[in-house]
Amino acid sequence: MSIDLGLKPGVGTAATSFNEREMQICTVARMVENGKTYWVAGGGGPMYAVLLAIKLYAPGAQYITEDGVIAPEPMLPFEPVMTMVSSRAGYRALAWGTMNSAGNHAQLGLMDYGILNTLQVDRYGNINSTAIGAYGERARRFGGPGGADSIAALCWRTVLMTDQEKRKFVERVDFISSPGFLDGSAGARERAGLPPDTGPWRVVTPWAMYDYTGDRLLRLIARAPWVTVEQILAACEFPPVVADDVGVLSGPTEEELQILRAELDPRGQNTAERSAWVVYDGETYTRAEG
Amino acid sequence: MRVLAEGTSEYLAVDPDGYRAYVRDHKQRALVPKLMSEHEAVARFVADGEYLVYDCNYFQRGPSSLIREVIRQGKRDLWLCGKFTYVDIGLLVGGGCVSRVDCGFFWPGATIDNAVREGRVRVFEYSNIVMTLRLQAGAMGLPFLPVRSFGGTDGFAHSGAKLVEDPYTGKPITIVPALNPDVALIHVQQADRYGNARVFGTGIAHQESALASKKVILSAEEIVETEEIRRDPGRTSIPYYAVDAVVHAPFGAWPGNCAGYYGSDTPAVIETFAAIAADRVAPYIEKYVTPFADDRAMLRQVVGDERLAKLRAAETISEGYRA
Repeated sequence: MSIDLGLKPGVGTAATSFNEREMQICTVARMVENGKTYWVAGGGGPMYAVLLAIKLYAPGAQYITEDGVIAPEPMLPFEPVMTMVSSRAGYRALAWGTMNSAGNHAQLGLMDYGILNTLQVDRYGNINSTAIGAYGERARRFGGPGGADSIAALCWRTVLMTDQEKRKFVERVDFISSPGFLDGSAGARERAGLPPDTGPWRVVTPWAMYDYTGDRLLRLIARAPWVTVEQILAACEFPPVVADDVGVLSGPTEEELQILRAELDPRGQNTAERSAWVVYDGETYTRAEG
Repeated sequence: MRVLAEGTSEYLAVDPDGYRAYVRDHKQRALVPKLMSEHEAVARFVADGEYLVYDCNYFQRGPSSLIREVIRQGKRDLWLCGKFTYVDIGLLVGGGCVSRVDCGFFWPGATIDNAVREGRVRVFEYSNIVMTLRLQAGAMGLPFLPVRSFGGTDGFAHSGAKLVEDPYTGKPITIVPALNPDVALIHVQQADRYGNARVFGTGIAHQESALASKKVILSAEEIVETEEIRRDPGRTSIPYYAVDAVVHAPFGAWPGNCAGYYGSDTPAVIETFAAIAADRVAPYIEKYVTPFADDRAMLRQVVGDERLAKLRAAETISEGYRA
């Protein structure tokens, strides 16, 4: 019995040529629900996924950014990094606030979903964006959690977007910058002072979708049509639970790609980054290696 | 309150009574003109060894010209509030101005990596909103604030936060220490000569930073008459008595976007990122900071009036940004 992935069917005809980053963004876009609030990290996949969803799948979804913008109708595209505290990003919003207003609203429970990009994520959905290696002077330093810590702590459900690579999809992150289920034990988040009934909800990679079992274990529930379950498991540092019936995700549609490429990211700032190409001949998806 | 767990990092000493006494003795309650040059403002109000907060950042309505002036004057041993920031930390570290950083978010790269590895800079871990809440506590005259995030992370362990038993609910709650910086740098769209300031659009923590900081330097795109402030008092974001210096700085947020005034200078934004990534801040400073007496001279000679006019023309949105 297959799991209901809760994905909307793709609008339009199946695309014949796309990259795996585009696949990941389209998959997240199809998860977005009308009438819900999304606190999205500034820029990149999460914001593109929500904007794509609002245009194609869920016109009544609203998004909020860390600078306190509520439900904007942004003037696209964005100049590089100008996804917050910029006039185009905040255009035609319903309200403008500040970082503390966004944080307070999330703390009150007004944010249904958070969507995050992650540098490194572990089996309990803990996110590392601080340092790779043993913390201290020897570690390679990254930028810190930014707003992701608050998104991961305070939204009712968190969707994590990450690459399907062993070094990024690890047993235990080197540093918990933003909280998942922490050590995975029951009540760990609540014991740390985080609000109950929150936490990671889905993990979406270019190859796969995961959810969490009732006891907070990562579970593979769907795969891209051009990879096997075995290939996915080989790209995890740890073995996730595998659902009895792993679903198959649909590839992007031409309509999705048109919006993504022409309206949201015409410079290819995010979607054209290093990621494999996939072609579809009407019957089979083929991934171009290298 | 029972302390259940606590971070082990150094944090700026919490002293709300000391801050009140400072406010009593130093914050001007009289309407005193505070217009001065960026050189005078930074020379008078930023000292070596101080804790410095800037609001927004070098790319988004940030006090970019004031940050360049801090580098120009060779300030040393600063402790930075690194919330919601891309290149600012890297520029100030590369300029040799920094010894400590409270990290919410900054753009990483070789400049910071090398400084941390060589022990020149120490980083303490927070998140953006934990830092703005620390400023909120400082702006309320309180010693700390509770927060529903941050607990359970490794950042918590490397911070000044504590997990305590909430005396009201009995449940665990994280508390974070109030932050009262020595000095704040804030760029605003409009201010009068007394420091009554208007921020248009969203922001990070301009009000909290202004009220929490001992010394406040504003840079403003426009200096407006106080009559204009009185015409629409609801738009005053920062009241005069929080402010120590007002600098008239058209294009003070360059190369960033100043909402309603000019768009970002994309090639210059990318150039700044590249300098941090490759640890090439010194040549950046030699190009944009040290040869010039002030930022206006740099803008005129390096950026040029024609490019600035284009950036102004590119900012087509005015809704919400004009009185």
